[in-house]
Amino acid sequence: MNNYILEAKNISKSFGTIKALEDVNFYLEKGKIYGLLGENGAGKSSLMNILSGIYQPERGTIYINEQKQKSLNPESASKLGIGMVHQEFRLIESFSIKDNLTLSKSNIYKKNFYEAYNKYSEIFSLSVSPNKLINQLSVGEKQKIEIVKLIFKNSNIMLLDEPTAVLTPQETSQLKVSLERLSEEDEKTIVLISHKLKEIRDFTQKVFVMKNGRMVAEDLLTEDISDDELIELMMGNIQKSVIDKSNKIGKTKLSVKSINYIDRSNNLKILDDISLDISAGEILGVAGVSGNGQVELANIISGIETDFSGQILINERDVSRKGVRSRKKLNLSYIPENRLGVGLAPGVSVLDNSIVRDYFKTRLGPHLSKTKTETYLDGLINKFSIKAPDSKAEITTLSGGNMQKLLMGRELTSNPEVIIASQPTRGLDVNAVEAIHNLLIEQRDKGSAILLISEDLDELFKLSNRLHVMFEGKIIKSFHPGSADVNDIGLAMAGVIE
Amino acid sequence: MNNLKLFKRQSVNELATFYSFLIGFLIAIFIGSIILLIQDKNPFDTFSLMLRLSVGSVNSLSSSLNKAIPLILAGLGISIINSVKLWNIGAEGQIFLGAIAVNFVYINSQINNPTIHIFVLLIAGFIGGAICILIPAITKVAFGVNEIITTLLTNYIVIGITIYLINGPWKDPNSLNFPAAAYVGEEVFLPTIFGKLSFGFLICIFFTILAHYLKNKSVFGFEMRIAGGSAMTAVYAGINAKQKAFLAMLIGGGFAGLAGAIELLSQTHRVSTGISQGFGYTAIIVAAITGMRPLGIFLVGSLFGALSIGGSVIQTIGVSTYIADIIQASTLFGALIIQFFFNYQIRRVEND
Repeated sequence: MNNYILEAKNISKSFGTIKALEDVNFYLEKGKIYGLLGENGAGKSSLMNILSGIYQPERGTIYINEQKQKSLNPESASKLGIGMVHQEFRLIESFSIKDNLTLSKSNIYKKNFYEAYNKYSEIFSLSVSPNKLINQLSVGEKQKIEIVKLIFKNSNIMLLDEPTAVLTPQETSQLKVSLERLSEEDEKTIVLISHKLKEIRDFTQKVFVMKNGRMVAEDLLTEDISDDELIELMMGNIQKSVIDKSNKIGKTKLSVKSINYIDRSNNLKILDDISLDISAGEILGVAGVSGNGQVELANIISGIETDFSGQILINERDVSRKGVRSRKKLNLSYIPENRLGVGLAPGVSVLDNSIVRDYFKTRLGPHLSKTKTETYLDGLINKFSIKAPDSKAEITTLSGGNMQKLLMGRELTSNPEVIIASQPTRGLDVNAVEAIHNLLIEQRDKGSAILLISEDLDELFKLSNRLHVMFEGKIIKSFHPGSADVNDIGLAMAGVIE
Repeated sequence: MNNLKLFKRQSVNELATFYSFLIGFLIAIFIGSIILLIQDKNPFDTFSLMLRLSVGSVNSLSSSLNKAIPLILAGLGISIINSVKLWNIGAEGQIFLGAIAVNFVYINSQINNPTIHIFVLLIAGFIGGAICILIPAITKVAFGVNEIITTLLTNYIVIGITIYLINGPWKDPNSLNFPAAAYVGEEVFLPTIFGKLSFGFLICIFFTILAHYLKNKSVFGFEMRIAGGSAMTAVYAGINAKQKAFLAMLIGGGFAGLAGAIELLSQTHRVSTGISQGFGYTAIIVAAITGMRPLGIFLVGSLFGALSIGGSVIQTIGVSTYIADIIQASTLFGALIIQFFFNYQIRRVEND
């Protein structure tokens, strides 16, 4: 028998009628870095949640340190040394770093906190005082504190769910070094959950691949397997589409002139003299780590935020002082970064959510015609192949991909003049991403001017005709995707321009 | 080892609310029976007597429906306000202020045509109820003050004002020192349509349809749902969420105020503390049981009206009227618990 620090055998779990996991095996040796690769919805998070005791499996056995575990709950899993960093941070924002790190009952550095903190802040290149409050930290620093928190809790098996999603390329390569040192010096076992091939290749020694709730490859040596093989395991065959960018570019449709925006609550300058022009048939990409003013820029262009200086022209008409509706009437569409909560209202039906953009066009006085709205929704469902069986069901009964398709469809069905798409594919599986990319391209070819805000460089390279990089509220550099070097863009995203 | 775990159901039966109400009501009858048995009363006899005396004749049926009017109207008001996901605990106060407004306009106006006069007074009641919720509505929209607290507190203020008025400026010298305002003239009494059933019941039916339309079929209802679902989505859609919340609160308050006006013009005929017997609170139960559905509020409100009448008449055989209150409250409890089982299922999880 192998000496596995953790072994999960034949794990099955379903939610309702959906089988999230089917006969999954997963096993880890001490001190190694593993990758768990899979599309969204492949079952990675479900498996991790089972290992950390949040979900109970319906079938299967878990051994930790060769001890059979009868029932894991979050507390017992944590005692056995399993720790997880979730995609959303679970730090207490108003507490200091020290308080957050020592909060856990199983904190092992009670007496020698500073010694330990210094050691690990060196490993993670953290240069902040432990007395600093979490809400004063950058996203990258918070991510590091989350991982250090696991060390303080004495977790020997560290499950990291997409830890690089919020990091710049530089921070990512730095995290790699830190994790390697943890596995070598402290013999930590690390599982990196990701759907980014490059990271799996850079970070890990061994890799597991999941697809549709099954483990399709177990314990492969990362260096022995090629990218193509991994891709094929992960999603079967997909054709890498190459986008033709020789389409005709027309006249300027969206013109943004020296936008300045200050957040009144803390007097922070969020946007600093932003100007850009987008023409018909053009996709302008805006790259940047989130939190550098992209959301605010999109909100200002779409009319949600009105307290700014500068000028916005749609088809040469000044809409700077116009509200959301008059911009919609000029056929501007906005696909917000926050699908659920901004683009779609939770707790409200699919039908109601489908008409949020155009209801005021079709209204008959105070009356909202049920037949008209249902025809409208059916139209969207057919045109954009959305899976929404029950129009009266609450919107969150749809999957993430279908929610986004409904939102995109609603915003695109009227052939908008200007489209602002903010992180349109974040968190979606490969097929949904492909569908959404195609929608944007199709819209581009129909002559829309598209502002694409994204953190995903692949997406930006693939779709954009031009590329701006935003950093701390400024457009600090512009590129042409055809000739640009990824590293330069990564550096610009981190604020480095030579 | 077996573990029981909760799973949220993927789809919920459309009639779930109705079934859970029925089962809840049966549970309530069961609980009521136990209490009756403890008191050595025969539950079957008691309930059949209640049934006979609340719906057994034209007179008793019309009394029951009269009792239902304020429950239904206030419940509809609560359900409209709940469209924007806000709670109105202040229907009781709104009923009182509606009645006060009616009396105020009655004293200070001179209208000769009785139909127009009644119409004006009903509008006054509606406006009174809206005024009653004005401060909670303003503080909610402008400062985000919790409306549950403010609407609850206005109840005490308005009831205080009522007591002041009927002991002070409006005190009827002919009331033998009983604190009440003078009766309004017979010319403004609401007519009856059959038996003792007040014309108010027709108004009630009209407003039920109106509320149903407003909530489910109108653009305003859609805008309220979006604003209630997510304030950010409303901003994104160009819907003024605060304006919708403000309007919904005023309209909802107006419904309860109208209940006060009808109660005054058809039942008490004067302002006194007897304008409402906790209708504003019972209306919350009615609205909650039905999941805020106007048509459901109409049915459950009618049933609860009958229960109150039944409860008050069984005193004659020595059973406390509170048995009706117990049944109303237990129905809500039962219904909420059953609704839970419609939304979730409990499954046995084997983790071996």
